[in-house]
Order: sequence, then structure tokens, then C-alpha cells
Amino acid sequence: MLALKNWDINLRWSEKKTLLSFLLLYSFLTLLILVFVAFLYYGLQRDLMLQSKREALSNLTNEQIAKLKNLHINFAKEQIYPRDDRFNSAIYDSSFKEIFSTLNSKNVNLYEDIYLKEGKIYFIKELESYYLGARYIAIEVNEPPFWSKKVYEELGLYGAILFLILTFIGYFLLNIILQPMKNAIALLDRFIKDTTHELNTPINAILSNIEMIELDALDENLARKIKRINIGAKTISHLYEDLTYLILSHSALSFDEDVELKPLIEERIEYFSLIVESKKITLSAELHKAIFLHIDRKKMTKLFDNILSNAIKYNKINGSIHIVLQEGCLEISDSGKGIEEEKIAHMFERYTRFDKTVGGFGIGLNIVAFIAKEYHLLITIHSKINEGTKVTISW
Amino acid sequence: MVKQLFVLFLLTGVLSAQTIYEKNCLPCHKGMAVKIDKFFYRYLLKYSSEQEVKKAMIAYLQNPNVKDTILVDGLINRFGVKKKTTLTPQELQEAIDSYWQEYNVFDKLK
Repeated sequence: MLALKNWDINLRWSEKKTLLSFLLLYSFLTLLILVFVAFLYYGLQRDLMLQSKREALSNLTNEQIAKLKNLHINFAKEQIYPRDDRFNSAIYDSSFKEIFSTLNSKNVNLYEDIYLKEGKIYFIKELESYYLGARYIAIEVNEPPFWSKKVYEELGLYGAILFLILTFIGYFLLNIILQPMKNAIALLDRFIKDTTHELNTPINAILSNIEMIELDALDENLARKIKRINIGAKTISHLYEDLTYLILSHSALSFDEDVELKPLIEERIEYFSLIVESKKITLSAELHKAIFLHIDRKKMTKLFDNILSNAIKYNKINGSIHIVLQEGCLEISDSGKGIEEEKIAHMFERYTRFDKTVGGFGIGLNIVAFIAKEYHLLITIHSKINEGTKVTISW
Repeated sequence: MVKQLFVLFLLTGVLSAQTIYEKNCLPCHKGMAVKIDKFFYRYLLKYSSEQEVKKAMIAYLQNPNVKDTILVDGLINRFGVKKKTTLTPQELQEAIDSYWQEYNVFDKLK
């Protein structure tokens, strides 16, 4: 199954849920069919076994009836019920009242002809002359040894073969169901790949040219415009990096090293300073020194960038961002619009965007989730509508 | 005189202690070639359950006829069909109950 090869990457939570529901339903129906077929097969084998015993049991019953006849004639002298080592027996009158019984079971179904119950075969016959008032006679014998074991072995074998066939059918059904979903995902991925490829050259050209401009030499109005272009270009650059990471980097090898987080965070704050400034956001940071994390530097940068960029993007004008780095955790709190609690669990799904008033593809937190999963980092999000969001990365 | 009265009183007491079955059925059957228990087992052979046996006996005793008899043809030809019972339905029921109690096989089989 092509889609399952990249299950984590290609399928979203809701799609996984749909697939899981389908699999559960399919498994349940398969099991139901198998149980039904097994039930029929067992019944058939049981009936065949009972039919093979019928003649012998009928002969035993006739022997017992002959003994009952003798007892009936001599009842004044003899009252001992005839017993036989080969079987147990019981007699009943026409109102189904038990006259005498040597059976193990007290509940005998006199409406049946022959049946199997708890390892015993019961054979019922109606007498032509009611000796001792007996209209019905029941004979009880043990079922043939290993009979049920043999049937269960056959059931196991045929059940496994049938299950394999049904699983094979299920595989094809699942492929048919997944096809439209796979097509849609492939289309989106292809679009992002093509877009990313086309973005590379112009972004680099814009950013390198802006860096070459001497802002001090320009008048204030022009310098402000250049700054805006710089912010815009950096935003596109960030998006470009996310897309590149999504398509290529996360599957590439990591170059893990002991990264000191304070200088890395300071560098990234500096990188985002223009955007922060443009939204008049107050950014404060309490960064402890000498806190190291064994991680790929580029991936840590990506993780931090995505969380900080969200804190900026979904913040209000004149808002605030507070970053705390201490042993074991990194916290980024903002005074943004916040998010409903029930949506938090779905924030890390790819292409999920709850606020469409700002740009983006909904891939930033998906990348964060991938990196966190790779390095066993725990990400917790606390959010209150109109108050803000606090993201904590713990290790 | 006193002694005669005492014997009569004792005899009356003994007779009244007898069941309807003992007073009205046994005396006639005692002298018959076919004993009374044989009739019971023939009924049992044909009617099986207590309810069916009693129902058939009562019906026959209230209206004896060749068609409903359980006796074989030879005995019927020799002894004929018995006379209709003089017992009331309640007395007859009581007599049949005693008869069933005396000969049923339920608690006798070992």
C-alpha cells in the first residue's frame, strides 16, 4: 500500500481516523462472516457425525425397549430398571414426566431426534407400546473421542485460509478507497515542490541585494521602504525554508551536536527583529547561559523559528512576546489572539490553519512536531482566547 | 347384647376406614381370573401418562363398551363387558386416584 509507506507524512488525523474506522468495520465484518461460516461448518460436521451414529443408537434403543417390555410384563415381581454399560437411558411418559433416568443430564429435549450436548450424544425415540407408561426413551452416549478436536483443527485451517483471502480483498478495497485521497495529497505536494523550486532564485536575489544596500546613506522614507521589502523577503524566505524542509530535509541525515541555545536564540531574535519591530511588539527574553541540547543546529533553528514566527504572526499590534530559556525547557509566550482548547490537538497536522486572516500553508507546526518527535522533545501548548498562547518545549 | 353391639360397632368402624377403591373395586376383582393390577398395566401400556390413564379409566367405567375396553377379545368374549359404575363422579375419581397410587411405577423403579 503506497499510502501506508509514508503514513505519518501523507495522512492527516481525520484521514487516519476514517481509515481506522474502515479497517475496524472491515475486520468486524470479516470476523462476522468467518464466525458464521465456522458455525455452519461445525453444524454440518456435527450432523454428519450424528448421522453416522444413528443406526447404532437405534439398535441400542431397541435392546433397551425389549428389556423394558420384559420388565413391564414382570413388574409385580421385578422392579429394577435395566442398565447397560454402553449407555445411560431415561424413560418419560406422554406428558414428558420423567419415569426413571440414569442420564447425567436432567434436561433432555424430547422434541429432538438426535443431538449433541456437553460431549454427550442424546438419541430420542417414541415407543409404539408404552411399557411402564414410557412414551419416550432417551439414550445417552459419549461423543466419539477427538471428534471436536479434529473439527476445530479443520476450522482453524479453513478459517485462516478464508481470512487470508478476505484480507487480500480488503487490501484491494482499501487501495480503491485511498486512491482519491492519495491523488489529492500528491497534487498538493507536487504543487509545493514546483512552487518551492521557482521561489529559490528570486528570494536569494532580493535578500542579497537588500543586504548590499547602505541604509544609512538613504533618506529615512526610502530606508523604511527598504526595511519593509526586507521583512517581506524574510517572510517569503522563511516560508521557502519551511517548504524545502518539508519536502527534503526531514528525511535527510541529521548532524547532531551539542548546541548552546542562548546564542542560537539571540541570533534568531535578531533575525526576526525587523518583523517584530514592524508590529510594534515588545520582545523580552530571559535566557540562561550554558544550556546545551544535542540536536541538529538547522533543525533547532527551524523549530524555534516556527514557534517564534507564529507568536509574531498571530500577535496583535503593540503586543508582547516573552521568551524564557532555563534548564530543561524553553517557553515562548505571546499576547496573541489564542486558540480554542479543542483545536490545540489538531494544530500539528499538516495544512491545518485555524486563522486564515494571516498567510501561510499550515506546515510550520507540522515541521515542529516532526523535529520534536525525532529528538524526543515534549511540546505543550496552553492557550486562552484573546489572552495569548504559551508554548513550552521540554527535554 | 352389649357384646354384639360392640362387634357391630367395630365392624362398622373398620368398613368406614376402607377407601372407596377397597370397598367398591377390590371385592369384585378378587375372584376374577385377571387380577386388578393387570388391568392397570394394560392401561399404562396404552395411555402412558397419569392424566391419560385416569381419564380413560373413568370414561370406561362410566360407559363400559367393547370399543373402549383394554381387555383382549378372548377375555371379553368369555367374561363380557362389566356393568356401569354406581359411584358418583367424585367417588369414582377418588377410587381411581387410589388405584393409581397403588400401582403406578414412578416411585417403585430402582
